[in-house]
Amino acid sequence: MSVLSVQSVSVSYGGVHALSDVSLEVGEGRLVGLIGPNGAGKTTFVDAVSGLVPARGRVALDGRDLTGKPPHTRARRGLARTFQSSELFEDLTVAENLQVTADRPTWWTGLGETFGRRARANPAVGEALAVLGLEDLADASAHELSQGRRKLVGVARALAARPRVICLDEPAAGLDTTESAELGRRLRAVADAGTALLLIDHDMSLVMGICDHVVVLEFGRVIASGPPAQVRTDPAVIAAYLGASAVGATTGTPETR
Amino acid sequence: MEQILLFAVLGLGQGALIAGIALGVVVTYRGSGIINLSTGAVAMASAYAFWSLTTGFFGFTLPVGPALAGALAVALAVGVLTEVAVFRPLRTSSPLAKLAGSLGVLLTMQAGVLLIFGTQPQQAPSILPTGTTTALGLTIPSDRFVLTGLVVAIALALGAVYRWSRFGLATRAASENEQAALLAGLSPNGVSLANTLLAALVAGLLGVLAAPIVQVDSITLPLQVVPALAAALFAGFTSLWVACTAGVLIGVSQSILYYLSTQSWFPTDNGNAMPGLQQLLVFALMVVALYVRGASLPRRGDAVEQRLPAVPLPDRLLRPASVAAAVAVVALVVLPFDFRQALTNSMIGMVIVLSYVVITGYVGQISVMQLALSGTAGFVLSHLSAGWGVPFPFSALGAVLVATLLGVGAGVSALRVRGVSLAVVTLAAALAVEQALFNNTSFGGTAGVSVPPPTLFGVDLGPKADFRGLDGNEPSPLFGFLVLAVTVALGLYVAHLRRTGLGRRMLAVRSNERAAAAAGIDVRAVKITAFAISSFIASVAGTLYGYNFGSVSAARFTALAALGLIGFAYIGGITRVSGALAAGLMSTGALLPHALDKWFGIKGTWALLFGGVSLVVTLVANPDGIAGAAHRRRTAKKANSPEVFRGFTPVEAKEVVS
Repeated sequence: MSVLSVQSVSVSYGGVHALSDVSLEVGEGRLVGLIGPNGAGKTTFVDAVSGLVPARGRVALDGRDLTGKPPHTRARRGLARTFQSSELFEDLTVAENLQVTADRPTWWTGLGETFGRRARANPAVGEALAVLGLEDLADASAHELSQGRRKLVGVARALAARPRVICLDEPAAGLDTTESAELGRRLRAVADAGTALLLIDHDMSLVMGICDHVVVLEFGRVIASGPPAQVRTDPAVIAAYLGASAVGATTGTPETR
Repeated sequence: MEQILLFAVLGLGQGALIAGIALGVVVTYRGSGIINLSTGAVAMASAYAFWSLTTGFFGFTLPVGPALAGALAVALAVGVLTEVAVFRPLRTSSPLAKLAGSLGVLLTMQAGVLLIFGTQPQQAPSILPTGTTTALGLTIPSDRFVLTGLVVAIALALGAVYRWSRFGLATRAASENEQAALLAGLSPNGVSLANTLLAALVAGLLGVLAAPIVQVDSITLPLQVVPALAAALFAGFTSLWVACTAGVLIGVSQSILYYLSTQSWFPTDNGNAMPGLQQLLVFALMVVALYVRGASLPRRGDAVEQRLPAVPLPDRLLRPASVAAAVAVVALVVLPFDFRQALTNSMIGMVIVLSYVVITGYVGQISVMQLALSGTAGFVLSHLSAGWGVPFPFSALGAVLVATLLGVGAGVSALRVRGVSLAVVTLAAALAVEQALFNNTSFGGTAGVSVPPPTLFGVDLGPKADFRGLDGNEPSPLFGFLVLAVTVALGLYVAHLRRTGLGRRMLAVRSNERAAAAAGIDVRAVKITAFAISSFIASVAGTLYGYNFGSVSAARFTALAALGLIGFAYIGGITRVSGALAAGLMSTGALLPHALDKWFGIKGTWALLFGGVSLVVTLVANPDGIAGAAHRRRTAKKANSPEVFRGFTPVEAKEVVS
């Protein structure tokens, strides 16, 4: 059974259809890639799934309907996401950033903390830092980090919630080739440990290298979907990336940027 | 009907003044992204200048022409000074810091005017034709029409300048996207200066011309900025035409409302006209404007990183708290009575600033209403204890409960409003509460209502208790101990809050509401909780005020006093409990102003001037406030790290080296 199931999600801004009838499934332990040219609607898709923009269509997690639920409810049910521009909590340390998502506040714990009881350190925080290799940065302030590190902390923050699925919005942008490959290995390990991942990125070697399944968007519609080997030779995909004239002339991989 | 028409036309004068100040507010916002709370104060400054130059205040009298020129020169000088000393250095600060900067200018100018011209309100001479016109069978002073025509002409002229001149194009470019304008070779500093000067000129001119309609003092004209802000909200801080029209209409409807309130069918306040209706109207209009135009201001693509002061984790709480408490206990017994009173005032001031640490420091929302909640708690306490005879702990708890619920209610209705818009609308709310509720004799009253002393098990804990300290005078140290206990408990609570999960969630909301929601934080719940905590603290301070003076009076809880407290909170360091302590020591009647008065003969107005100036200096030179600077010095000493690596973590510093 799929962990994240999205059926015919559509988003329009005024008269512009940013997304039309996009459907997608991510199964347990699967790593699904979502690619497409700039402006194809990839980030809008993640915003719609996480509830940050109003959308039509159905979003379900482990078979439970999330449609119409506010973003924080979706997050608490196990739908985590990262942001293209990290969007860390600048005033908190790295460890505190992770604690915020790891905490499951109740009235009772809130009351206890108010009267001085120190909350136990949440093991999910340490684990998430270890998975991304960020243990040294635990006490650093979020606003002091380099761009590449901020991306990794963003991923660790999503992971600290111990979610069922994470939507990763361009986690490798700003990383160099070695760092990107390293991130790919870590993400694969996260997926193999059972967390479903939806990966948006422009780094084709990363996406094609680690994903089980790739979905291609163009102008808000799904134009291709399948295993990486199949998608990379799809004429519609090549046309979307290189222009219609390239179809037939190219038999190799679609390159971007 | 004829009467309504007459009052509508009479209201044109006030309307023109509001419209002129609204134009100034919009022009400044377009030029520099600052919501300038001191726009009304500019009108006050030039009105005073004109009055003093024509009436021989400085020993000589000028004819009208040169005096007008002099008044406008004063407005321009204020504009230049504000721009160079405040707005330009704050260009890269957060919108809230900019707002607080303009607040500093407002306080400074009020203090300056009080020091030069005194508190006596003045009747300004009129330079507009004083004759009357007869229209529709009504006899109407013709200056109302001249003023309105003038302000409409100014709006049209400004609109033409923005539309067709190169300067106008540059302003529009800079207000759309400052970063891109910068890259296109436009100087945001030049654009900002020109717009600030234009705004000062318009506000100054209207101040001189409309002054005869209102009186010239240190409060009336500066507070005209509140209805002007309502007009500017309708205009979305962009449209000059809407701002001008809305401003005139607000003046007209205030006048009509005043007429209606004098009718026999209108409810009265013990036989007198209901107070504060005009302020209530302005507040209601602001709510409508926010509803119609959406809660967020137009975003300027400012070329800056806009962060609020940092909120470090406190490492030790109990030790500094017990040291401070021990010092206070000794001081409350051995100090002379006037200093004991000042110390008690300081502690109560600290408690009210603690409410700002939670709502502004931790959650990043400026609510000017908090002092109004203190006042509400004080008045309710008086009604409960003096009126209904409810005994001590229950009367105080009941008053705190009522005021807290009011604060939570305000918070819930303002959930969509954030940042600078919240500051503006809560300022209007504070003014409305002050005028309509506190000045209403059935609830409050300027004369003051009495509060009986707190007694527990027959022991008087109030300032008149039998134990009188070493010098045997009032106030009793017992009351000081009570205030101290409350202050220490609340201070520890607020400092500890930063360590808890709730504190982290508050800071996450302050940093980034979208990301917080995506991280599973219920942003609304966190904000409502913060409003509840902050309102609770403010209400507790209100009941302490009541017990402290044995009475509650409207004069202590004015909107202007609230603005002053926010200023002190910023100077002390709005994100820290130690900052609240510093702010408490500086607040009205506290140790610092009392010592200055006693030892150096420096009066309260100088303290206001000092407050205004040091608010600006704090924002420009040291945004974390006194407490922040102290914290930085401590951590720097602890780390003993070379200056080169400031801003790096040790890990990253290693990376830089290798």
